[in-house]
Amino acid sequence: MVTKQFELSGKVALVVGGATALGRAIGVALAEAGADAAFTSLTVNRQEEVAANSAVNEVWALGRRGFAAAIDVTDAAQVEAVVRRAVDELGRLDILVNNPDLPFAKPLADTAPDEWQRVLTANLSAVFFACRAAGAVMLPQGNGRIINVTSILGERGLSNSTAYCAAKAGVINLTRALALEWARTGVTVNGIGVGFLEDAPGIGEDGSLKEALEKYLPLHRLARSSEMAGLAVYLASDASDFVTGQTIFVEGGALAHV
Amino acid sequence: MTTILDRLRLDGKVAIVTGAGRGLGRAMALALAETGADIVAAARTLSQLEETAQEVQATGRGCLVVPTDVTDSASVNAMVEKAIGEFGRIDILVNNAGGATAGYGVDLQFISDQDWRVGIDTNLTSAFYCTRAAIPHLLKQGGGKIINTASGYGMRGGRNNWTYVAAKAGLINFTRSLALTYAENNIRANCIVPGLFPHNEEMVRYWRGGKFIPMGRLGRAEELGPLVVFLASPLSDHINGEAIVIDGGGMAGGQAPTGLAPVIPL
Repeated sequence: MVTKQFELSGKVALVVGGATALGRAIGVALAEAGADAAFTSLTVNRQEEVAANSAVNEVWALGRRGFAAAIDVTDAAQVEAVVRRAVDELGRLDILVNNPDLPFAKPLADTAPDEWQRVLTANLSAVFFACRAAGAVMLPQGNGRIINVTSILGERGLSNSTAYCAAKAGVINLTRALALEWARTGVTVNGIGVGFLEDAPGIGEDGSLKEALEKYLPLHRLARSSEMAGLAVYLASDASDFVTGQTIFVEGGALAHV
Repeated sequence: MTTILDRLRLDGKVAIVTGAGRGLGRAMALALAETGADIVAAARTLSQLEETAQEVQATGRGCLVVPTDVTDSASVNAMVEKAIGEFGRIDILVNNAGGATAGYGVDLQFISDQDWRVGIDTNLTSAFYCTRAAIPHLLKQGGGKIINTASGYGMRGGRNNWTYVAAKAGLINFTRSLALTYAENNIRANCIVPGLFPHNEEMVRYWRGGKFIPMGRLGRAEELGPLVVFLASPLSDHINGEAIVIDGGGMAGGQAPTGLAPVIPL
């Protein structure tokens, strides 16, 4: 049966950046498909801790196991520790979802070198840290699925967002290169390119941006986090065995336009 | 308990699959049927379609066999009318018919007008004819899914590969315009971009078993099943105008830079 190939029973997923609406939607979808799922914050703070705990509660309510971890994803040691914790507590690690996001909008001329560094570290280096840590588990076991969440802004430019655009594009090409490097190990590496999300921080607050997007986007509405879930399950499961190095965009057709 | 996996189901839906007599088309028709859709199998060769129909019917779904020349708009229009006559609706159109042989491996100077027309008609015009015929039904029903089988050669060039690369690139961009134009009509259009999927032993030998592909192997037709089902299902409703590559990593690097396969001899 084709639908059987999408099932994730017996697998363990770790969602780095699992306290956002998007991270939660993806992690809970993986649990619905049968996986155990752990969620980390992006930085150590009370709000993310609450959100990650609530995502884990949803996973337990589905009859799956999981945990929430408050970590700073820009610290490689903390990322490595949470990967070890996933293996210790949940028995293995099959699926890594990297969902870091540090929004940043500033003209390049006003962007200080340390700001640039911060944006690149939070959006791109965090993916490297987690891939390296997960690889240490997945390569020896001979299989694994890595899903890097990136943005429509990794494919198209946007003024006053150069640092962010560079980081998100970096994730797309990191995904290609790592997919090749691990192509014969049983580990696939793919991306989800997220359109403008209605529940992303910043979008709701700026009414003018939302209005402009709704006018321009082919579906005249922003994307919803829940709409990324199906692709995440596809990429996390045996259904996508021959797919690697690809970033697939979920944006209602925005990139199809000139 | 219903889960996200239940939203893959296609019960009550009707799918037209062109090029359904063998290979990728047959595999996609079977996957759609296994997931609940009734199938309209269109291709030129009746005997091959009948084999597909047997396999589809073994899943418990209906299969209407319509011998069709997809390069002939009258034949395509008649096929779509038969589909509506039999099932009353069309929810999924898989434009999969195609072929890479027209003028393949021939120096450009020696490509005939006829080679060019056959290559473009088979791989691009066919999708236009089928989509043009199906669109009124999708619009009337309030939505649907169009899934076009492109190729890695629609994104990259190939040595002495002329008609196929031009047609498949055209198909990918045709799909983008479909996606934009009919987005508000609840119609989604996407491409599946397969890498090397052999449908006979000769092709396996020609592609050296796929040892130059990053994953080290060729694709298997049945691996397109889950992707076509996903794109046909409501789970992919916000994916539109995309070209999804399934190729074991080939496009991620290109074959030459990996150092694994500089040349496929023509």
